[in-house]
Amino acid sequence: MVMDRYADRLSGAFHALGDPTRRAILARLTAGEATVSQLMEPFELSQPTISKHLKVLENAGLIEGGRDAQRRPRRLAALAMKDIADWIEPFRQQWASRFDNLDAHLATKKKQET
Amino acid sequence: MPAQSQTAAKTNLDIDRGAHTIRLTRVFDAPRAQIFEAWTRPEDVTCWWDAAGERLAVCEIDLQPGGSFKFVTKGPPEMSFVGTYREIAPPDRLVFEAMGATGRVILQDAAGKTHMTVEIECRSAEQLDQYLKMGVDVGTSQTLDNLVAYARSRSTTVG
Repeated sequence: MVMDRYADRLSGAFHALGDPTRRAILARLTAGEATVSQLMEPFELSQPTISKHLKVLENAGLIEGGRDAQRRPRRLAALAMKDIADWIEPFRQQWASRFDNLDAHLATKKKQET
Repeated sequence: MPAQSQTAAKTNLDIDRGAHTIRLTRVFDAPRAQIFEAWTRPEDVTCWWDAAGERLAVCEIDLQPGGSFKFVTKGPPEMSFVGTYREIAPPDRLVFEAMGATGRVILQDAAGKTHMTVEIECRSAEQLDQYLKMGVDVGTSQTLDNLVAYARSRSTTVG
């Protein structure tokens, strides 16, 4: 029974993560809780669309309501991470790729000057 | 000479949990002023910001204290990075706020090259963990792989 419920939750989470907008909303919430109107701003989506995505994320257990019941901010569900190290390398690689691009861009500019 | 720039091209990452700060460092074979421009001119930023190597779909910069910026990648997924400039001090220092954290770009001369430090100061150690966990680009398959591994590790503790 416990495992079945777990499997259901997991498939819900994967469905929720299958959508790029929902992944982007999760990325935004890593910076801290946000209200629906705060989430509308960067994504340029309508309120019903954002609300629909939030409902899917909430049902999947990936986000939850914040403390302020009036504003109804959403935040990431608190996941107790055991090993943070696994997450650091992809983060570093992301920035390394960005800096590689910058390095190449600077080299191109240098060539244009001479 | 090209071989040397290859070996210098290493991005280091340090985590200062006490100061809840992520610190990235990299040496570039270019003067500070050029790197500062690369961070602050739309025609430059659009060429390198997207880790996937695509030009940005949107790159807006209002370069003044309190001015805002917006970088949006073509995607998918479209990832937007929106923030506000706090301090603009060419050629060595740029401070901004974005994604609930403070970003600092510090450029130092290093024998004809430039040593660049990018600091991301989070509000708390908890926010720092969240920031790293999701990466900046949650759309990468690597992040999803990590999530699967995490879900598995949880399922074994439950089972």
